[in-house]
Parts: sequence; structure tokens; C-alpha cells
Amino acid sequence: MTKKRRLTWIAVLAIAAFIAPSKAFAHGEAGDEPFLKDLTTAFYDVSISPKAIHVGEPVTITGTVRILDTWPYTLDPPQTAYITPVVPGPVFALEDRVINGQPAPGSFFVERGGVYQFKMVMVGREPGRWHVHPGIAVQGTGTLVGPGEWVDVQPAVAKFTFPVTLLNGKVIDLEGYQSSFVWWWSFAGFLIGVAWMLYWTLSKRTVTNLAVTTQIGINEDAPDIGLITPRDQMWMNVLAGLTIALLILGWFYAATRYPVRLPQQTDWFAPRPLEPDLKLAEVRPEGATWNDGTDTLVMKVQAKNVSDSPITLKEYVMGMTTFVNGGPDAQAQAGPHEYVGQLEVEPNGPIAPGETKELTLRIANPILSEERLIPTRDPQQFIAGLLRFEKAGGGEQFAVVRINVIPTQFKAQYIPGL
Amino acid sequence: MAAGTTTAGERQRRLELRALLNKKYKWIDRKWDLVFWITAIFVVGGAADITKQLFAGDWDFWTDWKDPQWWPVITAFATIIIPSALQYIQWVAWRFPTGATYTAVCFFMCAWVGRYFQWHVAESYPLSFVWPISIVGAAIILDWILLKTRSFILTSLFGGPIWALLVWAFNYVPLAAYLQPAHFMNHVLTVADVQGIVYIRSQTPEYLRHIERGALRSFLGETQYVSLVFGGTVAVAGYWIGQFIGRYLAVWPIRRYIKTL
Repeated sequence: MTKKRRLTWIAVLAIAAFIAPSKAFAHGEAGDEPFLKDLTTAFYDVSISPKAIHVGEPVTITGTVRILDTWPYTLDPPQTAYITPVVPGPVFALEDRVINGQPAPGSFFVERGGVYQFKMVMVGREPGRWHVHPGIAVQGTGTLVGPGEWVDVQPAVAKFTFPVTLLNGKVIDLEGYQSSFVWWWSFAGFLIGVAWMLYWTLSKRTVTNLAVTTQIGINEDAPDIGLITPRDQMWMNVLAGLTIALLILGWFYAATRYPVRLPQQTDWFAPRPLEPDLKLAEVRPEGATWNDGTDTLVMKVQAKNVSDSPITLKEYVMGMTTFVNGGPDAQAQAGPHEYVGQLEVEPNGPIAPGETKELTLRIANPILSEERLIPTRDPQQFIAGLLRFEKAGGGEQFAVVRINVIPTQFKAQYIPGL
Repeated sequence: MAAGTTTAGERQRRLELRALLNKKYKWIDRKWDLVFWITAIFVVGGAADITKQLFAGDWDFWTDWKDPQWWPVITAFATIIIPSALQYIQWVAWRFPTGATYTAVCFFMCAWVGRYFQWHVAESYPLSFVWPISIVGAAIILDWILLKTRSFILTSLFGGPIWALLVWAFNYVPLAAYLQPAHFMNHVLTVADVQGIVYIRSQTPEYLRHIERGALRSFLGETQYVSLVFGGTVAVAGYWIGQFIGRYLAVWPIRRYIKTL
């Protein structure tokens, strides 16, 4: 390979390395262990719309997340959480966040069994096709991701701005606010530093100095020899004085221009609890099987109707997925389509008041494998989720079910963990 | 008579040293200096940036982490280590009071290149949210203290607290704009808080911020100044960690190697 060609290849690889990995598109939720998704939380009724916008236009994420009573004992108990859009960086700008009807700029307190309805409004900031999820970060556990949707953000004619109203009534554009001052202020200090360095490196040499410093004491500046002269002292006094003068000037500027300043705010709160679920059913899990070859989960549960009206099992919610006992219309309403599937219930139909039924729930869906929702090679072979019962005439209950899974077929695994 | 001879001998020796200082070399004169100072930018800037990232990563990354309680303490400690090491090396070797300033200038260039290309261009965070702190002003004063005292002990005792004060003070000037109160999501928040909410960090939830949450109320609410005093103390410790690096991981092995030649 000629030298020219080699240099060309190096240049191409360098450019490719800079350009190619510019954005990440997935969020690694499949990498989380199954118990992190199944036993901790369940997301349902998630909506992300619209799916196509221009820069500056809003996208609204709504939904509900429930902290399950089956929260694993291997994790810290859930106490503090933060609901956030999970997106590849600030390609959207978050405009509003409400949890159980209350504005929620920061973190909030959670508990096992807690139900948190969220609404987040964000505006498109960077053109592209972005995968958008809601997520709940729980202290000590990490960010647990809900179902996602692709959102197309088209460029806009107008430049993106994000107006924020200060308490004094002034409106600022958060995009790049004061960034030029930050740069020029830092650069001014940098210039004095460069002057300091140039003074020493241009007027003196390292090699000859070393020959002398090795022969005198460490505390000697030896002006008689010429290592550090009175002239050096004078110029360093000037530069140090200039540095302090710059600082005084900067403080005067900041103090007069921004007379009111606060420390960063931390307003954590306990959201108002929602209306409790109706008590419609008592559910007893009786076991589940998992066929790794066909991606089929079969669960058997005993459900007793303890209400005064017939009830119907409508959905099974597990982690970020929802499986619907209904047709395409019902599935379309259940959440982002990539995370919604069919739930077959046998026998299907209402359960009469006081009646107990042995139900077989069958889910055959590749998402169970793709999102690694079923623990087949883990220390705990359990899954958990919510059974959504609806009552004739209105009302619903989400019953938590924790069930052990017996694999009936394994895919070959030649290297542990892969 | 003996004292007079010694004085004369010493005077002669110092004249020889003066001549040695001004001696011209053909190959290893200015060219060597040019190569050295420029190539060392990347090593020294990288070392300073990595050390800062290890100890004070997020505090230096986001405006909403630059709080009155933790930021002055952690940052002062994290940023003085490498300047101290370089101060020892450059003073001992060449009697240059430049180690801290050289580190700060290299660190400035590396940090801004990183923030601009990695965080602004590639990740589209506004620079107003992710700007790096500058330690140049504090470094100049630290070098000036060494120049005046000619003592590492005095430089650590006076320079450590002054370092903590100046690193905070120089960077508080640009931070002030982001501490203004704003009305957002029906709350009073600082502009920095608003930046932290608006520019989404999915894997850096708000509760991860190690910032003042009202725990130092017993000092008349003057958290800032209590932290600066503590920051000055830990900066002295950081200075001596840097001295250890300079003395025993840099100069001592070189001296040992030269003796074997």
C-alpha cells in the first residue's frame, strides 16, 4: 500500500468514526434482565401522539405506571422516582410534566402499589426519526422503560426557540442563553494564561534551566544567575493583578446584571393518590409455561368474581407490554402497537358474580423474546403483571399476579448469557 | 580567610552557572522546547480532564449541578491535583512557576473541544447547559504564590484555600445568569433547573443530582461560605496528592533512570 493510499484510508476512517455513530436509536431496554421489567412496574394506557411533527411542535406522552407489589427484594425498596421521556438525548425539549394532576418538575416519592398517571409535553428540537418512550427512573434501580413509538420530526422554517419567563417578567430564550458570555469570559481568562505561558516559554529554555536547577537548592529562584529575574517578578505581578482585576470586573457585572439569584431548587413531593381500584376479582395464579421455540406463554389462573356484576378479563399488562383480549380496534387503543399483542382467554366471556373460573391465558408473541420479558435462565423464574378486569356498566380493577414459569422448550445456548 | 575563599568560590560557581544558563545548544535548544510544550498539551490536558471527570464529572457538566454546597468542595479538590503535580515538575526542573497555568490552559482547550464536539455537535446539548469550568484564573494565582514563596508547603497552605475560592469565584460569574429565578411548571426554579428539565437526560434523573437540599441550615443559611472553607481544606489535601504524583510518579523514576545511564 502506498503512503498516499494509506493516508487516504486513515482520513476516511477518521471521518467515518466521527460521522457514523452520531446518534443512538434504541434505549437498551431489551438488555435489562427480565425481573427488572416484569416484577417492578407495569405501564398501561400509554399514548404518544402525534407521530409526525415539525421542529417546535408538541408531542404529548400520556399513560399510567404502577409500582407493583411484587417489587423484587433484591432491589432497594422504591422510594424516590422521576418520570421522564426516554429519547436519544435532547432531540425533544420537555415543556410540561404532570403526575396525578400535579405539576412535577423534579422527582417525587413513590411506594409499592402506587399508581402514577403521567402527562408529558415535549416539543421537537432536532429533525429526525426518534424512538420515544416514557420511563420511570427509580432511585437505586435505574430507568425502567415503558412502551415506545417512532416520531418523525421534520425541519421547520423558523429557528427553534424555547421561551422561559423569569420571575421579574423578562422572557428569555433558553436556547443558547448567555452561552456567548460564558465563552468570552472563559476565553478572557485563558488569554491571560496563554500570556503567562508565552512569557516563560519564549524567554527561557528548558534544557539550559535544567542544567542549572540540578545544581542549586529547590527553594532558590537565583536572580543572580538569571533563573527568575526581577523583571520576571514584575511581569508576573502584572498578569496576576490583571487576573484579579478581571475577576472583580466580572463580579461587578454579574452582581449588577443579576441581582436576584437562588440556589438550585429541589421540590420533591408525594403525588395525590388516585381513586383506588374497585374490588372485582380475587385471582390465584396456578402456574405458567413458556415455549422458547414458539415464543408462547401460557398462564393458568383462578379468578373469582367478588363484585355484584359480571366481569370480563380484558388485558394482561407486563412491563412495557399489553396483551388485549379483543380485536384490532381494542389493541389499537391499548398503546404503541409494537408493544401490544393478542391475549387469548379460555374460556372467554364474562364471569358471573360469585363465580370462580379456571382461566387459561395464552400469549404467542415474539416481543416476549425480543424484549427479554421471560426469565428462562435466571436465578428467579418468575413473572408478574396486571390482569385488567372490567365490570359490566363501568369500573375496572388491575389485579397483580405473580406466577412461576416452567420452560417447556429451550432454544440452544452455546455460550452462557447469549 | 576561609570564609572569604568560600564566598569567592561560590561567586565563581554562580558565574559558571550563569554562563551555563546562557549557553547555546545546536540541536536541543528551541526546537526541543517547541516539540515538548506542544506535545505535552494533549497529555497534560487529558490527565487534568480525566482527573476532574473521575471526581467531579457531573458537577462540571451541567449548570443544574453547580450548587452552593457540593460544587465548590468537589471541584476544588478534583481540579488542583494535576496542576500541583505539574507545578512541582516544572519548578524543580526549570524553575518555571508555570505548572498550574500550563495545566489550566491545556485543560481549557481539551475541555472546550470535548464539550463542543461531543456534547454540542454530536449530542445537541446547548453549550449554555454543558459549558466546562475554567481554572486558568486560579492557576495563575497558584503559580504566582509559588513564585513569591518558593515553597511548596506555603503554596499548599495559602494556595489551596485560595484555589477553592478562585475556582468558585471565576466560574460563579458566568453561572450567575443561570441562577436567576424563573417561573416554570407552576414552580419557582432557577434557569439552571429549567435547563436540566427541558434538555432531557433520560439516564440522569433529577434525584441523582448531589446538590444542596437544605441540610446545612445551622450556619445562618450561608451554605456557600461553609462549603468554600471546607473546599479550601480539601484543596490542600488535593495539592499534596498532586505533589505525590509529581515527586514519586514523575520526577523520582526519571532521576532513577538517569542515574542508571
